[in-house]
Amino acid sequence: MSILKKPDLADPKLRAKLAKGMGHNYYGEPAWPNDLLYIFPVCILGTIACCIGLGVLEPTPLGEKADPFATPLEILPEWYFFPTFNLLRVIPNKLLGVLSMAAVPIGLITVPFIENVNKFQNPFRRPVASLVFLFGTFTAFWLGIGATMPITQALTLGFF
Amino acid sequence: YPVFAQQAYDNPREATGRIVCANCHLAQKPTEVEVPQAVLPDTVFEAVVNIPYDTKVQQVTASGTPGPLNVGAVVILPEGFKLAPKGRMSDELKAKTKGVFVQPYSKTRPNILVVGPILGEKNREVTFPILAPDPAQDKSVHYLNYPIYVGANRGRGQVYPSGEKSNNNTFTSTAAGKVTAIEAGDKGTTRVTIQTAAGEAKEQTVPAGLKVSVKTGDVIQADQALSYNPNVGGFGQAETEVILQSPNRVKGMIAFFFTVTVAQILLVLKKKQFEKVQAAEMNF
Repeated sequence: MSILKKPDLADPKLRAKLAKGMGHNYYGEPAWPNDLLYIFPVCILGTIACCIGLGVLEPTPLGEKADPFATPLEILPEWYFFPTFNLLRVIPNKLLGVLSMAAVPIGLITVPFIENVNKFQNPFRRPVASLVFLFGTFTAFWLGIGATMPITQALTLGFF
Repeated sequence: YPVFAQQAYDNPREATGRIVCANCHLAQKPTEVEVPQAVLPDTVFEAVVNIPYDTKVQQVTASGTPGPLNVGAVVILPEGFKLAPKGRMSDELKAKTKGVFVQPYSKTRPNILVVGPILGEKNREVTFPILAPDPAQDKSVHYLNYPIYVGANRGRGQVYPSGEKSNNNTFTSTAAGKVTAIEAGDKGTTRVTIQTAAGEAKEQTVPAGLKVSVKTGDVIQADQALSYNPNVGGFGQAETEVILQSPNRVKGMIAFFFTVTVAQILLVLKKKQFEKVQAAEMNF
């Protein structure tokens, strides 16, 4: 197989690092030159070949010329805007609709300031944050699916 | 009929993306299209339009008798693409398109192909023979990924270009009141008598072939349906993409892939060789 360097367990510095769960780059296959010089270019060339192949075999469609006087039949935005797009169309007051869209990034901005209220990282030890996350994800999926449905089923998805 | 669109519209695809057939064929039904992923310049290829419907159902004809459904389709190709001439088609393609008269939409738009009305039973799958352009001869065409828009219809329309409704529609009441009598009229029509609140008796004739949905004694509003909707057909549109592919690009790509593969193999071999040096010198 490949060249492997054994960990020098006589080295107290390495032992201290290993005890802390670190220092794994001190042993194993040497990065230079085995990996960096020989295997990295293999991956880089492979990636370039994939890009060239896709570029030749499946060129990007140019799409249609935009016409500002013609609203397309389907005004659905990109998929990652589906949930907020659905909010915008079901909330009757357009100002509230826009504010509800703005509330998403504003809510995300507050996360770094309040996430340390609970010092644990384990999701099971921060139940409020986990529940907020799960609820938000579920709501986003629900609204996102609703955006592709007729306006009458935008919130119920036709279930109720 | 496609001819109605050909007379009334220079371009059958509106700026919104709607194909004008939908202006008269109001119901929506599915439509599918299949084209090759990529085509070479100056070659003939086929676009297959699927118009699914249940062949057992029948529609009302203009005379009111039930009849089979007809189908029609329009294929909007990118500019430069056109109908394949008979001489360029393979025998297999000739056999497939036999008896189906595909024609260009107009003299100025040879890139738009229409067909119909044709008998739906045999033609739920319509094959359009298409000739791809050659960018070497036609400077307006390039090797690109092009969109193809397709519309297909089955059954009769609901509106004529003049704005009149066809008999393939729900027949609605012109007066509000109570239905006092429903009698058979001549030639399969039905006479519905409505007593209005003012006491007038208004008689309305439901055209032949339509099934009356009201009963004697029903109280109805103006514009309420007197018959069931007889329409069984509908129009649908779809879009797909086709790539006009340059043979030289594909050749170049294969040559490039070959050099990349050789380079990758050589890099791995070089690494293996160097590992032997490392093992011999115990220096790593």
